[in-house]
Amino acid sequence: MTAAVRRTAAMLGLPAVLVAVWWFASSGSTDVYRPPLSRILVAFRETWFGRRLLDDVAPSLARLAVGYAVALAVGVGLGLVLGSSRPLRALTEPVLEFLRAIPPPVLVPIVMLVAGIGDLMKVLVIVSGCLWPVLLNTVEGVRAVDETLADTCRVYRVGGALRLRHLVLRAASPQIVTGARQALSIGIILMVISEMFAASSGLGFTVVQFQRGFAIPEMWSGVLLLGLLGVVLSLGFRVVEARVLGWYHGLRAAQRGSR
Amino acid sequence: MRRQLAALVSFSLTLTGAAACGSSGTPSKPSPGQPDKVAGAVIAIVDVAPVYLGKQKGFFSQRNIDLSLSTSQGGAAIVPAVLNGQVQIGFSNVTSLLLAASKGLPVKMVCNGVASTGVPDKDYSGVVVKAGSPVRTAADLAGKTVAVNTLKNIGDTTVRASVRKAGGDPKAVKFVELAFPDMPAALQAGRVDAIWVVEPFLTAAKAGGGRVVAANYVDTAPNLTVATYFTSAQLAKSNPDLVKRFTEAMTESLRYADAHPDEVRQVLGTYTQIAADVAAKLTLPKWPTDINRQSVQTLADLAVGDGLMDRAPDLSALLP
Amino acid sequence: MSAPAIGRWPGLVGLLAFGGLLELLPRAGLVPAGYLPPSSRIARALADQARRAEFWTALGDTVRTWLTGLAIAVAAGLVCGIVIGSVPALRTATASTVEFLRPIPSVALIPLAVLLYGTGIRATLVLVVYAAFWQVLVQVLHGVGDVDPVARDTALSYRLGRWARVRYLVWPTALPYALTGVRLATSVALVLAVTGELVIGTPGLGREIAVAQGSGAVPAMYALVVVTGLLGVAANLVTRAAERRVLAWHPSVRSEVPA
Repeated sequence: MTAAVRRTAAMLGLPAVLVAVWWFASSGSTDVYRPPLSRILVAFRETWFGRRLLDDVAPSLARLAVGYAVALAVGVGLGLVLGSSRPLRALTEPVLEFLRAIPPPVLVPIVMLVAGIGDLMKVLVIVSGCLWPVLLNTVEGVRAVDETLADTCRVYRVGGALRLRHLVLRAASPQIVTGARQALSIGIILMVISEMFAASSGLGFTVVQFQRGFAIPEMWSGVLLLGLLGVVLSLGFRVVEARVLGWYHGLRAAQRGSR
Repeated sequence: MRRQLAALVSFSLTLTGAAACGSSGTPSKPSPGQPDKVAGAVIAIVDVAPVYLGKQKGFFSQRNIDLSLSTSQGGAAIVPAVLNGQVQIGFSNVTSLLLAASKGLPVKMVCNGVASTGVPDKDYSGVVVKAGSPVRTAADLAGKTVAVNTLKNIGDTTVRASVRKAGGDPKAVKFVELAFPDMPAALQAGRVDAIWVVEPFLTAAKAGGGRVVAANYVDTAPNLTVATYFTSAQLAKSNPDLVKRFTEAMTESLRYADAHPDEVRQVLGTYTQIAADVAAKLTLPKWPTDINRQSVQTLADLAVGDGLMDRAPDLSALLP
Repeated sequence: MSAPAIGRWPGLVGLLAFGGLLELLPRAGLVPAGYLPPSSRIARALADQARRAEFWTALGDTVRTWLTGLAIAVAAGLVCGIVIGSVPALRTATASTVEFLRPIPSVALIPLAVLLYGTGIRATLVLVVYAAFWQVLVQVLHGVGDVDPVARDTALSYRLGRWARVRYLVWPTALPYALTGVRLATSVALVLAVTGELVIGTPGLGREIAVAQGSGAVPAMYALVVVTGLLGVAANLVTRAAERRVLAWHPSVRSEVPA
């Protein structure tokens, strides 16, 4: 009982202290740019719980989900192909390294040229940024499949789709999940940035409009919401990861425990 | 290990040295006998030609002001830059300043910036539709999509005023935000039904076959003051002499620019990318020396009516 | 498996093939040349840019923002990481705060940064430092926590003082992690620096790209994007080379990675 209490205290202690400090430090604030935390929270409730949730937040999240899913599918598929073939890898590596190094937001003007200003542009921007971590990590993961396991599969004549699923994907999955996690944080960033240009709805768009209209408490509330979104998505990812990689975590724990 | 440490230390020293060479942006205190350094933030558009022309002609240095101008992509960043002292003078449209003042930001207009010509078919701003569009007057814009460069700002407010004046329903107009350079292409591709543009994009849109259906600045108020130069209330209180000298220099620049359009067209090339042949053809705005206070009140009322702000700010505190 | 028939420089062939594809597609009319100019025109635009003084100023500005932010983030990350990592109580107290603050997308801070710092270098530095700091901190925390328990017990039984323990025990263990953190932070810092310039308007390559796009100068825009990509590639190569030099003693570098 006390162990659990101590653990929760450790988890909530510092954040609670920081929030309290923020509250009291800003409570008497007359600085227009740093309103009291109480006003920010009031603005949070007024701004985001209402039509805005449906009109702005939901479309943004939907675009993120679609873009992320497409990036995962294309990245894993392409990564499987590239990772299994050394000549292909050697051929494409410099090109991929170069394309990967281009900061994704820089591609927004280019994508705007091609895809206009609607939903397609935003989804494409998200895909173009999320693709690279997934692709490159998949290639790494497929490359590093254990030789012994691969030989065993060959001896037992395990081939084709079965081999793909049980050997390659399974062995590469820790690496793929790492890539997926990086892709998620990039995806959130791109979701916001794609809406800062030529948008008429969306989470990033709303926050920027608040900034332009000098609606400071509402803007702070938007920043808070974006932060919360990042945290919630990251937690959700952790839950999914624990399910998908349960076998891997157990294996690592056993190895470390035996030390 | 020691080599690594030495490398790390020298690396960080180099970096801090490089960073220290960076520009700071805040001007140093004026020493007696030296001209006052004033940093101004403007947008690289036709409207601010007088300040560049005035600087060229020496109107500012005559009054002991060493003026340095920087350009910003949009007005939204100029207000914070003025308020936190990064620059002393900013250029912004009246609606933005009204919004800022209504939210309690201590801005103070000092001098007029630019005004509409007041002539319906010879203004430097207009709403353009594609050739062959069913839209004939501003009233037809109801239910259509109009592109403006900033939402909830002077663009949509004045377009709604045009629609209202022509008898249409202003609330039925859909607005979308696009940067001016992207508008002609979007209009041609049919992504928007109409675009609100200012020079030089107005000339470009007309040359591309577009038709002007509304002169929104003219419809809003006679001789509308579109934008002004402003400073922070803090600077106005702490250094009123500097503000007065700047205002005098700026007024002289405005008068000169209004009287010498050819020199204005020439100076355009020094701070914008506008080609010389385009600069020769475009319609210049007017640069009166006084702010049209009535039009500022009109813009404030429109902003309140359109829901941009709850109530108008105290205009006497805002206007010079 | 036949030897790659592509010769000794498959990567170069790949690059050339990519360039050739970019040349042919627009010329053949498969992609509108207004959206994607042929690579020869991009190369020419690049040469034109190199002649402009503003290009080199912008490049210098980007590099300065990038490296300044990186230096601050690395210094702060190292110090905080070592301090927090060495004191278990601090570690448990700050764990939840770190996990909460880390996933906050740095773009959420853009409106705040613009309001507080305008469009100068400091606004972009906020983004760069914020994003890069977490990369370094998390890696250093892992490193400090990865100290081999046997080695630590040995050090304790030989009565090595705190400073000696840090120098001989913690630092070599944490160094590979710290360098990974620096490598990740370097690319993140570049991405955020260019993003800040693109969105906020701080002087630099990102702003030049926005201006080029705004003026309709499409080849120039692509040329500038190429330059940012090259910067990223160069940064990657330099950090990997530095890693190999500094970690020449570490088994992960000394052992051969199976192809």
